[in-house]
Amino acid sequence: MKNPISIGLAAATCLSMVAALFMVFVYVPTEAEQGIVQRIFYFHLPCAWVAFLGFGIVALAGGLYLWLGHKVWDDLSYAAAELGMLFCTLVLVTGSIWAKPIWGVWWTWDSRLTTTFILWLLYGSYLLLRAFADDTDGIARFAAVLGIVGVLDIPIIIISVRLWRTIHPAVLLTRQGEHGLQDLRMVATLLVSLAAFTIMFVWLLWMRVATLRLRTRIVRLRRTLALRELAEAHR
Amino acid sequence: MLEGFGPILRKDLRLEVRTGESTVVLVSISVLILVVMVLAFGPAGARRAEVAAGALWTALIFAGTMGATRALLSERESGCLRGLLLSPVEPATIYAAKLSVAMIFMAQAGIAVLVVLVLFFNLDFGGALLRLLPVFLLGIVGLAALCTLLATVSGRVRAGAMLLPVMVVPLFAPALIAGSKASAAVLAGQPLGAVITWLKLLGAFDVLFVTAGYLLFEHVIFED
Repeated sequence: MKNPISIGLAAATCLSMVAALFMVFVYVPTEAEQGIVQRIFYFHLPCAWVAFLGFGIVALAGGLYLWLGHKVWDDLSYAAAELGMLFCTLVLVTGSIWAKPIWGVWWTWDSRLTTTFILWLLYGSYLLLRAFADDTDGIARFAAVLGIVGVLDIPIIIISVRLWRTIHPAVLLTRQGEHGLQDLRMVATLLVSLAAFTIMFVWLLWMRVATLRLRTRIVRLRRTLALRELAEAHR
Repeated sequence: MLEGFGPILRKDLRLEVRTGESTVVLVSISVLILVVMVLAFGPAGARRAEVAAGALWTALIFAGTMGATRALLSERESGCLRGLLLSPVEPATIYAAKLSVAMIFMAQAGIAVLVVLVLFFNLDFGGALLRLLPVFLLGIVGLAALCTLLATVSGRVRAGAMLLPVMVVPLFAPALIAGSKASAAVLAGQPLGAVITWLKLLGAFDVLFVTAGYLLFEHVIFED
């Protein structure tokens, strides 16, 4: 892990996270209507963003794996799914913490909540598949297909659930084209927080892929060793 | 392009006609799911159409995953898959054939469910049922496309057959919403025009997943 890129990413994550925390807790003004709980939004939205990013990487890396057949793409796709699951869970948790004082309930079947929950289930089934399977080429291909199909499904999930019901606040753009964030300082905080989460995501992804690569190497070495022992025993 | 489609389909159907295994299991499972739903929610009441639609789709999802598993597992069990893959038949053609088989199984289960539904919920056999047909057909195309693609996992992973619904249900969620909403509206006596948005959504889902399955099937169907 003592690799300049990894160290650089770690440093960038620490710096940007500290900056984001400072802005969220000290710099940004408290929202007039919702009060202090609105500050969780500066973590909530970046989590949602990286969860979606993770989903995109799962599909993209899955496609590259099917196309090029190199194990590194499979590792990338697996790592992105794990991180995506983590951040998708955080989205649901932070959302619930916010919803309780504002909407009066922990959970409601609003369109974006439902969409996120279905995405969470998709990640869950992907990870269950990987957990149940042996680490073979076959399952990597299957997982790639599942990842691609999952991402293809997202637009239809969004449309169907939106038609089903919605009460989620329009944060970035309302139907009239207005901002949900009135103060410029709020926009700045959101942007810094988004950057911090993105860098952190890349760093975690980098480390996780490195670990998976090591695991693949160990499996291969073990197999070679076993074969060699077998050959010697026969001699 | 679809050379080999006919023989595979004929073989699976002949196998089914001779043993009748899948039909018996799927029809009984879906009717039982319906019974469970009726016992749990009660047949009468103001939300009759919604409960009926929900029962129909719940039964279909589980019948669908089981039907698709059967259609693919029969190949794996007796080692037919190797022969099929060695033959000069495109994997996409195998997909198309298996998709058709799965659809026929699902349609059988679905028709049984519909008949029982009419009896249990005191619906009339006329127009509402006829209007339900397009919703039902669009629904099973998408479900069969998804299940056939993903059913290749069973037999390859521990508890693969149990894992299939876990993968299918979240993916099928949008079509499930569209299908059950449209069915509820139609069963409540509304015309097809009122549910056209849902039908379009189901159509889009079908096109997307049949295409995806057709293109991706070659990556998941092989002997380990």
